[in-house]
Amino acid sequence: MNRSESQPVDPLPTVKTRQRDARRRATRITATVVAVGALAAGCASDAPQDTWQPAGPNAQAIHDLQWPVFLIAGIVGLIVFVVLGYILWRYRDRGQPVPEQTHGKPALEIVLTIIPALILIGVAIPTVGTLMALSDTDDTECIVNVTGQQWWWEIDYPVQDGCQGIEAPIVTSGQMVVPTGTAVLVRGTSRDVIHSWWIPKLNGKKDMVPGRVHVTKIEADEPGIYAGQCTEFCGLSHANMRMEVVALDPADFDTWKAGQLAAYESPAEELAAAGEAQFIAQCSRCHQVDGLENAEGEPIVARPDREVYSGAAPDLSHLMSRNTFAGASYDLLNSVCRADVWQSDPASFGEKYLAGVDLACLNSVELREWLRNAPAKKPMYTDPTQLGATDGLVRGMPYLALGEEQIDELVAYLLERQ
Amino acid sequence: MFTTGSKLLIGSAVVATIAAIMYGVTQDGVLGTVGLASAAVALSFLAGVNAYVRDSNVLDTDAASVRASSAARYRPDNSLWPFLFGSGAILLTVGFVTSQVVATLGFILVLAAGIEWIVQAWAERTSSDPDHNAEVRLRTLGPLEFPLFGAIGIGVLIYAFSRMMLWFTQENTVILFAVVAGVVLIIGFLLAFKPSIRSGAIGGILVVAAVAVIAGGVVTAVDGQRDIHPHETVGELSREGICDSPEEFEADENASQNVSDSANVAALITLQSDGRFGVNVVGPAPEGPEGLTLTRSSANNIIFRNDSDHERRLTLDLGTEFVESEDGEEEEVPYQICTTLVEEGGEQLLTVVIPVPSSAVPGGFHFFVPGVESAFLPVVVP
Repeated sequence: MNRSESQPVDPLPTVKTRQRDARRRATRITATVVAVGALAAGCASDAPQDTWQPAGPNAQAIHDLQWPVFLIAGIVGLIVFVVLGYILWRYRDRGQPVPEQTHGKPALEIVLTIIPALILIGVAIPTVGTLMALSDTDDTECIVNVTGQQWWWEIDYPVQDGCQGIEAPIVTSGQMVVPTGTAVLVRGTSRDVIHSWWIPKLNGKKDMVPGRVHVTKIEADEPGIYAGQCTEFCGLSHANMRMEVVALDPADFDTWKAGQLAAYESPAEELAAAGEAQFIAQCSRCHQVDGLENAEGEPIVARPDREVYSGAAPDLSHLMSRNTFAGASYDLLNSVCRADVWQSDPASFGEKYLAGVDLACLNSVELREWLRNAPAKKPMYTDPTQLGATDGLVRGMPYLALGEEQIDELVAYLLERQ
Repeated sequence: MFTTGSKLLIGSAVVATIAAIMYGVTQDGVLGTVGLASAAVALSFLAGVNAYVRDSNVLDTDAASVRASSAARYRPDNSLWPFLFGSGAILLTVGFVTSQVVATLGFILVLAAGIEWIVQAWAERTSSDPDHNAEVRLRTLGPLEFPLFGAIGIGVLIYAFSRMMLWFTQENTVILFAVVAGVVLIIGFLLAFKPSIRSGAIGGILVVAAVAVIAGGVVTAVDGQRDIHPHETVGELSREGICDSPEEFEADENASQNVSDSANVAALITLQSDGRFGVNVVGPAPEGPEGLTLTRSSANNIIFRNDSDHERRLTLDLGTEFVESEDGEEEEVPYQICTTLVEEGGEQLLTVVIPVPSSAVPGGFHFFVPGVESAFLPVVVP
């Protein structure tokens, strides 16, 4: 019987055909847009977390491994899809009779098992070698501790002969400053939940687990800023938990160290002096500023463990020497100055970075917004009515109900924390 | 007038209505009342529909046929389930106004008895053959009853046994187990040499043993458990000078010597045979007088290894702290954290969380070993 005779006659074939064609066209356009978009994403020039742009020997080792692995995987994938597509097209249903069914073909099955096994062995050998090389930290010359907490990174430099000599502990946050051409041992832990440290241009990821010390190493070839982000989901503001490694040439690194250990100077200017009083009253319970003293002349020691769930808050002694705040999710530099620093060539980077943040370059809009209502800028568990699970302790900076005058004073004071 | 199905639904609707009223009167919150009232409305509706269509059974309209059916010729057995269902309903009602435990028990009883009653009534109308009906009932409820009753039985035995064990003193427990083990051995011996023993006799022995355990459990539960002294830890005794002492305390005797969290520690501190500390941290060890750096407000795990010739403890001196004395006044006492006494060649884990920087305390923090003056390690907390 003729197939067309057995099917009912469609009363409106042209309408249905048009609808089908329209659907196919829409599908093709969507697929093309997605494919072009995906491909075009690979051409992005401003991609600070691009794993394909290594900037140090450790990331280069990963890069040298992932290229051939991607190549092999790509070739295998291409072969599979081409063969699959050919079979789908060649043996599509055209009304032909079902062919004779057979079961098993030992020779073919053995070959198709051995080939993938050989490919996997070929991939595994350099992979294991690279992993072992990356985990070897014996060659490191400088120790930097990182501690993750919701949702920022604290960075401290213990007293050591490494790092060109550290004579007193240095504590900072958000931005880790390291000397170029130096293998830096990063010792990490966490104060609350598991976080993950990842600077894609310098090395792979490393989980930071509470109660444990995990190590990784980084090394930057040239001065510059290398961006990263927490890569272990850690709660409400996980996406806003960023960090950067700032590489300075050895001489600039010494300058930076000296700046971090510089003695505290009380502000002379009236507005900033009022800001110091505001800071003592509003902020010093959690934020440490070394050298700050109370009315009796005693050093003020912040006790964030009494206010914050993680037991820590960023040290603000030299806030304006780094150019981000709020877990590196906001810039302290305005967009013009930021571009000037981030896009500067390696030769002039150190000088621009060490200039810090001054009034002309300050991103005062977002800093003021942060002081006005921090939880509105970055989601955090700080609502006093919903802190039962943490015994009243906040996870992040709470709303402080500061007035505009208080904010003016605080900004003036913080601007002097160079 | 009313068919079987509609009777059940009407009864359920009445129960739900009463429960809604009682819940609303006796309990806080409206959700329970709303839920029960909704159930009452739904059940009433279903009852009405069911009554109207006469269980959708056209034969129900033919009274003569119903009376002549095979199912109707067999008179159902007496059943305990209505009694238990009623008891459960009473407990549920009483529980609403007394305690949640009673109400929960009542609810469970109502639910279990209701299911059993419904299934039994349904099975007894399957045919005129009582054996077949019993088998149908068993096939339906057996997979639920056997594991459930088994679990309840085992649970009762375990609970009764635990009450007994909490009642006996430690010394008597040893004697009891020696006797019980002997009895079990003798019975096992007899069974092994007398394989022809009747199964009924074995079952009898087991029943007697189970009854004895349950009875013992009831008696000891009523009498109450023995006095149990919690083991004091070093942390609890730290304010009594234990961390300063090289002597052994009760806390040392009872504390675990296991190192349970020894991976990726912040430091391995070894008391060497020369009486000095050896420090092993990841990466190059800090040199000079600055000592060991620990993270502030973070759990720092430290392994203490005692390579000396005596039992020693590792103590972290954190300065002083203010505590409330017995007369209600604040007094300044040494603030120390320490391990228990560690035997020669042994290891122990010490977890310390330090909320303040070392610069905030005059003299800073340091590790030391009581009785060994040369063992001194400054601790830096940035």
